[in-house]
Amino acid sequence: MIEKIVNPKELRHWDGKIELYWVYTSGKAGDEFFKKLKEEDKFLAAKCKKCGKVYFPPRIYCEKDFSETEFVEVSGEGCVRAFTVARLDAYEKPLDNPEIYALIDIDGTDGCLIHLLGEVEPENVEVGMKVKPVLKPKDEREGRITDILYFKPL
Amino acid sequence: MAVGKKDIECPPYAEGTPLSDEDIKEGKVTYVEDHPDIRYSWTAGQAISKFLNGLKEGKILGVKCNKCGRVMVPPRMFCELCYKPIDGWVELKDTGTVETFSISYIDPDAKPLPEPVIVAVISIDGASPHMGIMHILDEVKPEDVYIGMKVKAVWKGEEEREGAITDIKYWKPVEG
Repeated sequence: MIEKIVNPKELRHWDGKIELYWVYTSGKAGDEFFKKLKEEDKFLAAKCKKCGKVYFPPRIYCEKDFSETEFVEVSGEGCVRAFTVARLDAYEKPLDNPEIYALIDIDGTDGCLIHLLGEVEPENVEVGMKVKPVLKPKDEREGRITDILYFKPL
Repeated sequence: MAVGKKDIECPPYAEGTPLSDEDIKEGKVTYVEDHPDIRYSWTAGQAISKFLNGLKEGKILGVKCNKCGRVMVPPRMFCELCYKPIDGWVELKDTGTVETFSISYIDPDAKPLPEPVIVAVISIDGASPHMGIMHILDEVKPEDVYIGMKVKAVWKGEEEREGAITDIKYWKPVEG
């Protein structure tokens, strides 16, 4: 049998790094949505002119019949369809305070949003609970989904 | 029946919106950006580890298979022709022959180089025919390189060597 390296210090490796940088624009409808949220504290959805389906987040055309949509304002309130409680962060380190992630059906639309819940204890969250968005102070907003801090119970 | 054909019109505003770097920088549109930190560690394994450690000592190491009789470099733990473990280590010469070469005028980022680099596959003396490594040639003009040219390794100083393929600085033509 051929001799093998048994001292791990003699085993070699090569470290590398992959450079990756990207900018992802919100698109036509996304841009309208985030600018309205940032400047006017308002939520936009998009209603199909033909079938009436209301998209949230908004789209520029209907996915079902390819016809144009029009922007409509909605309250941003909704109800919890599903939720999960995260007790570890993305690196599996325990969190000091658990984070509640919820899928929220937005009132007056056929769409939904995944976001955080706040001002509520995990044990008090229920499916079907009515929630409303809490926004960052206006001067701190950047036109991103994190301009919504969390949703809180109504 | 025809499938997939629908009488639809593309909305004019779906044709696309040209954006420049300036538009992004000035915040004309909303966006998210990221720069993920992607790192990896490639383990060299038994054979290449020993090969790299050999370079540190100024040696080029190969392996031999007693069944097919080949002497292989870069070394490996299994003979891929005989499907069996290799039989032993062999120290090879630091001379060889140019198998093929290419002249590169740009660096890995496609930036022009002040001086072209000659990249070559060099079959190593003492190994089976056409067994060799890729490296660079120097002390020779690109127009004077030819396939079959005999070359010799130019090593870094002993104290500079770190057990990397770059412990050989380059290969130069054998004089005479």
